Amino acid sequence: MADKLNLKTKSVSGPTAAILLLVALAIPPFLSAINLNYGILICCFVLLYVVAVSGLDVVFGYSGQISLGHAAYFAIGAYGSIMLHKYFGVTIVFSMLIASAVATIIGIVIAYPASRLRFHFLSLSTIAFGEIVYQLVLQSPSAVTGNSLGIFTEPISFFGFKLDTYTRFYYYGLAVMVISLILKNNLINSKTGRALIAIRENAHAADGAGINVTRHKVIAFAVSTFYCAYAGAMYAHLVRFISPDTFMFRQSVLFLTMLLFGGTGSLLGPVIGAFSVTLLNEALRVAEKYQMFIYGTLMLLVIIALPGGIYGSLKRLLNRFKRKEAR
Amino acid sequence: MLLSIEGVTVKFDSLIAVNNVSVNIAKGKITGLIGPNGAGKTTLVNAISGVYAPNAGKVVFDGEDITGRRGYQISKAGLARTYQVINLFEHMTVLENVLVGMHTRLKSSLTAAFFKTRAERAEEEAAREKAFELLRFVRLQDRFDNEAGSLSYGDQRRLEIIRGLASDPKMVLLDEPAAGMNPVEKDDLDAMLREIINRGVTVLMIEHDMKLMMGVADHVFVLNYGSKLAEGTPAEIQRNPDVITAYLGDD
Ligand SMILES: Nc1ncnc2c1ncn2[C@@H]1O[C@H](COP(=O)(O)OP(=O)(O)OP(=O)(O)O)[C@@H](O)[C@H]1O
Ligand SMILES: [Mg+2]
Repeated sequence: MADKLNLKTKSVSGPTAAILLLVALAIPPFLSAINLNYGILICCFVLLYVVAVSGLDVVFGYSGQISLGHAAYFAIGAYGSIMLHKYFGVTIVFSMLIASAVATIIGIVIAYPASRLRFHFLSLSTIAFGEIVYQLVLQSPSAVTGNSLGIFTEPISFFGFKLDTYTRFYYYGLAVMVISLILKNNLINSKTGRALIAIRENAHAADGAGINVTRHKVIAFAVSTFYCAYAGAMYAHLVRFISPDTFMFRQSVLFLTMLLFGGTGSLLGPVIGAFSVTLLNEALRVAEKYQMFIYGTLMLLVIIALPGGIYGSLKRLLNRFKRKEAR
Repeated sequence: MLLSIEGVTVKFDSLIAVNNVSVNIAKGKITGLIGPNGAGKTTLVNAISGVYAPNAGKVVFDGEDITGRRGYQISKAGLARTYQVINLFEHMTVLENVLVGMHTRLKSSLTAAFFKTRAERAEEEAAREKAFELLRFVRLQDRFDNEAGSLSYGDQRRLEIIRGLASDPKMVLLDEPAAGMNPVEKDDLDAMLREIINRGVTVLMIEHDMKLMMGVADHVFVLNYGSKLAEGTPAEIQRNPDVITAYLGDD
């Protein structure tokens, strides 16, 4: 019996994780060696996007609610952390956490009434909220957010140790990403994670099984807003300058594209999605005008040709291969 | 009385699907609910289990007024159910379906889940053990890792029953558990119902299969056009002229 209870969990196996981690650790020295410092910055973006997209996955991939406004929480994390530091002198490490907590509370306040509604009111409310935050940032009273000019800030500093190089930030970002993935994995492999999947599969039956659907939708939303806001704060202190342009509707679409492209409802999907879409973005920098066009095409491609994203399709392929082998 | 239904009425616009129905359901017994198609049986069960709030009347479960509460609250109070149309989590595994059924019994907090505390792991492990025990009860233990949707019709029905039992309920409401089962599976269900009673769980069952119903039920009540037509022991119901007319008139 005991071995039967040792069930497949939907996480990554130990050896795979170890190899991925080793590769990740080797990236900055490798890129410096070939004089591609800019590449390390891109990888820093990938890391923080993985955090944001993993958060979005909890709400979209697991509990099945579409949000098109998560850039708003990314923005609250970014602006919140900068403003807490600038106007209240809060140390940056803490300002990031406080801003993320505030974003989470706002997320709960918004998600609670919306989750009780039927149909896609939650998605609609997320779009509306995204627009509100954008406008607030753009036209803040006495320009506390820097309005359209944007606002500058400093790098993260751990008791005087400044994360002021791309490599330093990279290792910090890697640690944050790994912790985020572990916490997400733990959540998914708990009764709460099962409840979220049950809601996605069949909300009516979930209710009948004693699951408070509203409460769990709000939990999923809250987790995702914390992840997105923290990623936003990371972004702010990496780039050290933000402006409303960074947080337009387009940013929400970017997150969703990464998630769909990489694969929803999985641990590695957001990693693959953030990585591939960021690289693609960089490769197509010359065609910035066509960014939304490209995201749209990618989304269609995934929906039609790659259901489950890259990760889901790879897994299906692997399973087919394994089954053949077993025969 | 474990469950008292007092003057419950459910309306859909102008249609009165359940009309002022009162029934008492005794603890530790199998109570049957029969009636022609469209009589309002499922609607009554939906009104008890929180899918709809009754338009009038009261539902008291184990001394607690549960009228108009939400489905999950009623499930938490110890009243589980199955559905006329199979309502499993199709793409989750057989084991996961049972574990979801156990949701209300599991006490770990959200924080414990995030940090996979020792207590949370132990609780999950115990939950799996318990789920396997239930799966063995219906001989589905070897299918634990299959998608629930891949099971045969009869197996899906049985899985739904143990998903309901997984919450350790005081009572289960079964809406046509034998629908789509072959004769062998029906005999099996008969034995299973008796075992459920032995475990101390009260049963209210809607069923069109009269052989099964009359064999296992301790008490039967009949709905017709939303109203209670009769109630009594299976033998009394079988020779009740009103019931006979209702069924003959319907067919
Ligand atoms: N959600 C609904 N909206 C409108 N009318 C409904 C709804 N649910 C059921 N009804 C109607 O209420 C009446 C009772 O239906 P119900 O499903 O409770 O019957 P039943 O006794 O369970 O029948 P069966 O034996 O066929 O399952 C029927 O006339 C049905 O059409
Ligand atoms: Mg019915």
